[in-house]
Amino acid sequence: MKRITIIILTCLLTTIAAMAQTGLNINRLFDGRYKKASGATEIIVTGVQAREIGLTVYHSLSVTDKNQAELVEGLVVKDGAQAVDKEVEYRNGQLYYGFYTMKKSKRDNRYIFYLNQNLARKSPKNIVTLIYMEGLATQEEIKKLIRK
Amino acid sequence: MKDLLHIINQQELEQLIERYFDGMTTIEEEDMMRQVLAQCPWKSEVIDDARVVMGYFAAHSEQQQRQATHGMRQRIIGIAASIAIILAVGAFALWHQQQPSDVCIAYVNGQIVQDNDKVMALVANDLSKMDNAANAMTDQLSSLGEALELDNE
Repeated sequence: MKRITIIILTCLLTTIAAMAQTGLNINRLFDGRYKKASGATEIIVTGVQAREIGLTVYHSLSVTDKNQAELVEGLVVKDGAQAVDKEVEYRNGQLYYGFYTMKKSKRDNRYIFYLNQNLARKSPKNIVTLIYMEGLATQEEIKKLIRK
Repeated sequence: MKDLLHIINQQELEQLIERYFDGMTTIEEEDMMRQVLAQCPWKSEVIDDARVVMGYFAAHSEQQQRQATHGMRQRIIGIAASIAIILAVGAFALWHQQQPSDVCIAYVNGQIVQDNDKVMALVANDLSKMDNAANAMTDQLSSLGEALELDNE
């Protein structure tokens, strides 16, 4: 009896742990490595505050280091290849702006924004920003959200 | 059963019972005796005594079966309860996973920011940057569209 219980419990927890992975390449960037890094800003918003802007998860990262920026761009491009919908702009062979709609995670929609301000025509800045959003919000609602 | 009562009469049954108590019967005879005792309408001191003894065995056997059934039922209830607990734990874990806990935090140049208003201001700043870039792209597309229209005129 105990053995059956342990086997079932193990299977269940393994399944839950597997489901916790979102399967995106950019997850690598959100492993906490930038929390103590200078030249980086990481924002995590979930729960009540996220719901106030119509999301369940808001996770963003801004980096100024060139090598880190290249890493971010590479991972975004990889995920972008799997996107179900995308709006992208390349400048000088580099990704300047990207808005990707990813495959749903369970019931939630998932979106990735990317911006390399170094490629901006007006007042370029050495900042690359990545935003991951998750929630029931549709593409249009996300666009409205960034217009606010 | 009717066949058995045709084969054996009351007197023969009583003789069989006496032989049974003397330990002189075969297994087949005992089986037949049990069946006849269970069904026949005959009554006598010997037959009634035999019925009591057989009834005891039958009751004893039934009690054993009841105990076995009870044990089995207990095990099934135990397994069902375990599965129910596991499913409840699993459902809670899934629900909990779907309901992220309240987090509103930012790390800016290694400094932690926990003030909700400040964090949400940073979020607004992020979103504003994206809006500007998205607008720039839309403007470009509009200009391109206008240029194509002019070209076609």
